[in-house]
Amino acid sequence: MNYAWSYFFVLIWLAYLISSGVLLFSRGFLLSRVSKTDISSCQRLSLNESDEYFLSEEIVQEIFKDVNATSNLCLPQKSKVIILLIDALKYDFGVYKENISNPLPYENKLTIMYDLIQSSPENAHLMQFKADPPTTTLQRLKGLTTGSLPTFVDMGSNFASPEINEDNIIDQLVRHNLPMVFLGDSTWTDLYPRRFRRAYSYPSFDIFDLDTVDNKIEQLLPKELAKDDWQVLIAHFLGVDHCGHKHGPLHEEMARKLSEMNEVIKSVIAKMDGDTTLLVMGDHGMTASGDHGGETEDETNALLFAYTKGNKFIGSEFGSDNTTMQQIDLVPTLATILGVPIPYSNLGLINFNIVPDIKVPYMNKFQTLLLHAWQNAQQMYKYFFNYALENKRTFSVDELENMHNEYVLFTHRVKTVYNEAGFKSFIGDLNANMRLILNTCREIWVKFDAVQMSQGLLFTLLPIFFSFLVVNNLNALELYRIFTPKGVTFTYLVNIAAGFFGYRYFKNFSFKSEDHGVIFFTNIVSAFILIFHALQNWRTIANNWSAVKRFGNMPTRIIFIIAVSVFFSNSFIIQEPKILSYLLVGSILLLAYEIIQKCLRLELNKRFKWSQFLRSTIAQLLLFSVLAIIIVRYTYMLFRCREEQGNCVDFSGNSDGFSIKRPATAKTYIFAVVIIVLYTTLSRLYLRHSGSLTGGSPNVWLARYGPTIASICAGGHLLLAHSAVKNVKRTHIDAMALVIYGLMLVQIVVLCVSPLLTFYVLPNFSTPIQIRPWDNVIPQIFKKIKRMYDDAEARVNQMDAMVYGLTTVYSSATIVFGLFLSMMLIVLLEPRATIGMVACIAISVVIILVHSTLRFRTAANLANCIQPTFTGIVSWFLLAHFCFFATSHQTTLSQIDWRAAFVGRTSGLGKSHLISGVLVILNTFCGQVFFFCMYNLLSLLTFSLCALHPKFIKGTTAANTNANGTPATSTVEGIGLDMMRGEFLLYENEGTFLASSFKLAVQFLILQGIKVFCAMLACTIHCRHLMVWKIFAPRFIYEGIGTFVSLTALIVGYFVILRINRALERLIFKANNLKLD
Amino acid sequence: MAPKFDQQKTKHQLFHLSISLATVLICMTYLQFQQNWTNVGSIWKSLVVPIVFTSELLKVLLARYYSHSDDNSLTQKQRQKRASYFSIREICGGLLLQFLCTVLYAFICIILGAPVLQNYEQTFVLALLLALETTTPTVLLLGGGGALQVCFCEKPDFITKSENTALELFKYNAIGAIMGAWAGSVVAPLDWDRDWQAYPIPNVVGALLGCALGNIYACSRILYATANVFLNRKRY
Repeated sequence: MNYAWSYFFVLIWLAYLISSGVLLFSRGFLLSRVSKTDISSCQRLSLNESDEYFLSEEIVQEIFKDVNATSNLCLPQKSKVIILLIDALKYDFGVYKENISNPLPYENKLTIMYDLIQSSPENAHLMQFKADPPTTTLQRLKGLTTGSLPTFVDMGSNFASPEINEDNIIDQLVRHNLPMVFLGDSTWTDLYPRRFRRAYSYPSFDIFDLDTVDNKIEQLLPKELAKDDWQVLIAHFLGVDHCGHKHGPLHEEMARKLSEMNEVIKSVIAKMDGDTTLLVMGDHGMTASGDHGGETEDETNALLFAYTKGNKFIGSEFGSDNTTMQQIDLVPTLATILGVPIPYSNLGLINFNIVPDIKVPYMNKFQTLLLHAWQNAQQMYKYFFNYALENKRTFSVDELENMHNEYVLFTHRVKTVYNEAGFKSFIGDLNANMRLILNTCREIWVKFDAVQMSQGLLFTLLPIFFSFLVVNNLNALELYRIFTPKGVTFTYLVNIAAGFFGYRYFKNFSFKSEDHGVIFFTNIVSAFILIFHALQNWRTIANNWSAVKRFGNMPTRIIFIIAVSVFFSNSFIIQEPKILSYLLVGSILLLAYEIIQKCLRLELNKRFKWSQFLRSTIAQLLLFSVLAIIIVRYTYMLFRCREEQGNCVDFSGNSDGFSIKRPATAKTYIFAVVIIVLYTTLSRLYLRHSGSLTGGSPNVWLARYGPTIASICAGGHLLLAHSAVKNVKRTHIDAMALVIYGLMLVQIVVLCVSPLLTFYVLPNFSTPIQIRPWDNVIPQIFKKIKRMYDDAEARVNQMDAMVYGLTTVYSSATIVFGLFLSMMLIVLLEPRATIGMVACIAISVVIILVHSTLRFRTAANLANCIQPTFTGIVSWFLLAHFCFFATSHQTTLSQIDWRAAFVGRTSGLGKSHLISGVLVILNTFCGQVFFFCMYNLLSLLTFSLCALHPKFIKGTTAANTNANGTPATSTVEGIGLDMMRGEFLLYENEGTFLASSFKLAVQFLILQGIKVFCAMLACTIHCRHLMVWKIFAPRFIYEGIGTFVSLTALIVGYFVILRINRALERLIFKANNLKLD
Repeated sequence: MAPKFDQQKTKHQLFHLSISLATVLICMTYLQFQQNWTNVGSIWKSLVVPIVFTSELLKVLLARYYSHSDDNSLTQKQRQKRASYFSIREICGGLLLQFLCTVLYAFICIILGAPVLQNYEQTFVLALLLALETTTPTVLLLGGGGALQVCFCEKPDFITKSENTALELFKYNAIGAIMGAWAGSVVAPLDWDRDWQAYPIPNVVGALLGCALGNIYACSRILYATANVFLNRKRY
């Protein structure tokens, strides 16, 4: 028994190695920034005498006594603002070139800007508007409104809805009662729902539609301009961007679109009043082909044009850059113009070039500017230090100290600014220092950590490769020799020592954190241990390896290779559900083909007769496979589509509630319930047929009635929780889910204590006629009676105990565990997904049936028979991943089903986030959880099927007698008779069985490891790809978490087998004792 | 120990293979010059199916031609079989089997993801092509019952030597076609916006190319064996 536990610990160790590699990689790859929900606030100084905070002369004097205390005061609003955001308005589009006779389509179209700059240079300003990558509209809008650098994972923000919860300029405006009007791209209203007084938003989905949105804005804009109930008006035009995507910048359409924009700007300028500032800007540029998203000069270089009729701009004499403005500088600048506090997490600087020069009473111009600039600096330092304080180790200590010293110097220096010259030198230094902060942050939030990424890749690959060498190429006996309890203890001790070493001395090796050090050293040490094992057994490994056929299993290998190479192309990832189902069908067809090749020929022998063909088991199996394939095809309807697929109805960017569900019809509910009932009934019938539900011990009772209760509860919950029935109390609905959770817990306890579903009849009481359900009744009765009438001596020999359910002793317990597990998953899933889950289970049954027949008929010996074929393993693996999509999941972050976190918990039970997380993960990765927990069935059921349906064996033996005995088939006959004893045979060959179960787990672990490694590699290769944050990174996140879940599930699966084996051992021991008494 | 060299057989094999390869070549050239890819999926506008059918017919005729040489060594059963080749029963059986095969392939296409109700013409063309590449030659050679027997049972004893040679080669053709058509789908999800990505063009082309690959593999094996024989002969 000890060696079994050592396998178990080896499994945990290997799982740890792979997951730590994945973890390390994700640390380096997933740039994250903790978004802080703090907000800035201030008191607005008003120009109206009756207000509380009236801007009087005394107050101004008060302010300049201590400038450092001014951060809670805002100067009054300078003007109204109109923002015309023209998507993808590149800087080149707005530059007027005078002496060209033959302008390109995009040149010299925005003439109004040139005219205004010529006629009134102090009222108009044209600048480059530098975007931070990624230059996609959504990320840019985040940057333009929060003033921060958007990273991939803004932790703390909720994934489900795109709404921004960080402090931003829009919310500041709402807070200070400055009404806004919005027209255009609906991305804005997704990010900021319910913020605008009037919002006319139109979806930006159809990229080839150049005019619809723009025309609507153009119709509405004059009316809105005529009204005067707004302070800020935002119009977002999409035409230029769409034109770029469709035709590129060098097309005549672009000339038309830009001229149209020119007219719009002209008309706005004609209608706007004197104290309004107009900002025309692009959110990003475009490449020569009209695309964007990357970080080339073409894409980041947008345009900003500012114009004000009545006032002048302050200009460039106060340290602001005259030609280029960073996009994050827009937020503080807008805040300054509108007189609201600068949002808390802003990292930009005020650009005075586009701030209208409006005199604040009782203040010099430079004093006004000093106040603005100093407030900006205070806000930024506050944010930076608070962030550094809460997220230790993000920034290095020396850097922080330097910054802090600088800041203290500035706080002293700001008090001594008395004239304009002093202010100019002060603001020059201040700006330089604030840019330094920006660059520090940019380094942290925009750059990948190459060291962690490469080490993560390496540490995932090493254990996969060496465990493949060692475990995959050795047989049971040899594994038993390698992984001795002593050796495993030694491995763990060495690992712990290495871990401590890494924890203590991580600084000496310039690692960023303790975890990194621990992971690094444990992995290095473990790799050496694995290498040692490999070298020690090299001779055997090489021998076994050379025995493997060189191009064996080629189609299966191709299927697996395609399955893992999906990660390398974005269009494959988008179509992954279909590709996976294609491959799954391919592997099922392959199994069917193999069965025709290897079994049917034997069975039909000489002549093809339809009647004989149709009667054979093979024909039934083929029918089953067709059924499975039809089910796979049916699940197409359950797939959830993603945004990129086009005309996707699931994905509507609405942000109400948590999940974005397609409303299911009544038919779906009914169907789901029916299918659950059918599933429970069939599995119960199977269990009863195998004799596992006999007897009266508590665990048998649980197995007998538990699933029924669970299915009733699941069905009830499904109907009531989603439908519109109003009269049922929430608590009653919750109770049903809780019953299922409870049953699951009880089952886990039962599994740990006494998992066996056997009924033990003592020989003394064996007067009633016992019938083995798998055999003919009459001969047994006859035997029994004959023995009873034999002499007394024979009675002793006859005293073999009668045990029900022994032929399926392993699989029944596993199946019952699986039943409860699947019921729990079903209650977490939504109705449509439920159908998918049960459908996948049905497919798995077919795979098992076909595979076990194939396995049994092709196996040369017992060890061979326990070990599933490669095709079987791969199809099981594919099925586990296919189930993810069949249960209406998709690998985008916005489509996580958060509803699962509240199943059975709406009445406020168990508020902990841990439980919510576990429930959501169980929902999302239900396929991996279920199928990897049940992985043993793939090899177990070969035996129980043979025992339950001796027809299998008879068929083969009959064939053998005819097919004048080739050596392979005669051995089959040898096992064939043995196989009648079902899984008890496995117990007799306990060593082989446990080792091959371990080996199977490791094989799944290797497959999963290769898959996640490919995901990581794809992310590394594409880390500057246009779609990396939209497609590759989410896919990697799903695969990474999926790996953790799968590895855990595999360990649980092996644990189940160990528990059953232990219990069986005790049972046999007890039986022997009884016999001796 | 030089392997026995059967000149007739090798000649037959090489002729057979050159027909196969020429077919693929002709089909590809035809597709290349036809410009309009959408025609591939229609029955009447594309010549791929007739070309392939003709070539399969040619191959069977070739096998027939070579089987004349071993006329004198026929067993009783083989003679019987030959005599009943043109019987109504055999012809009907063959046609029925052909039809069933096409339906089966169409069904497989649909369960592998082809649209159920739309594009049935395209599906039919693909299924027909696959049936032509895989079962037709065998059915033409042996009749319906014989084909079934070859596919599902032990090797029947009425098969003559030349027929056996042809069957071996048909196997490469069939496996290549199926794998090619299956693998052809690889380009379908890519977002390149090419007109040849539309169903069933990649699969049709894949089937043809797969066929070619299978034949090239067979060809190289035969040439290798032949070369071996000649080299060994020189040595002795």
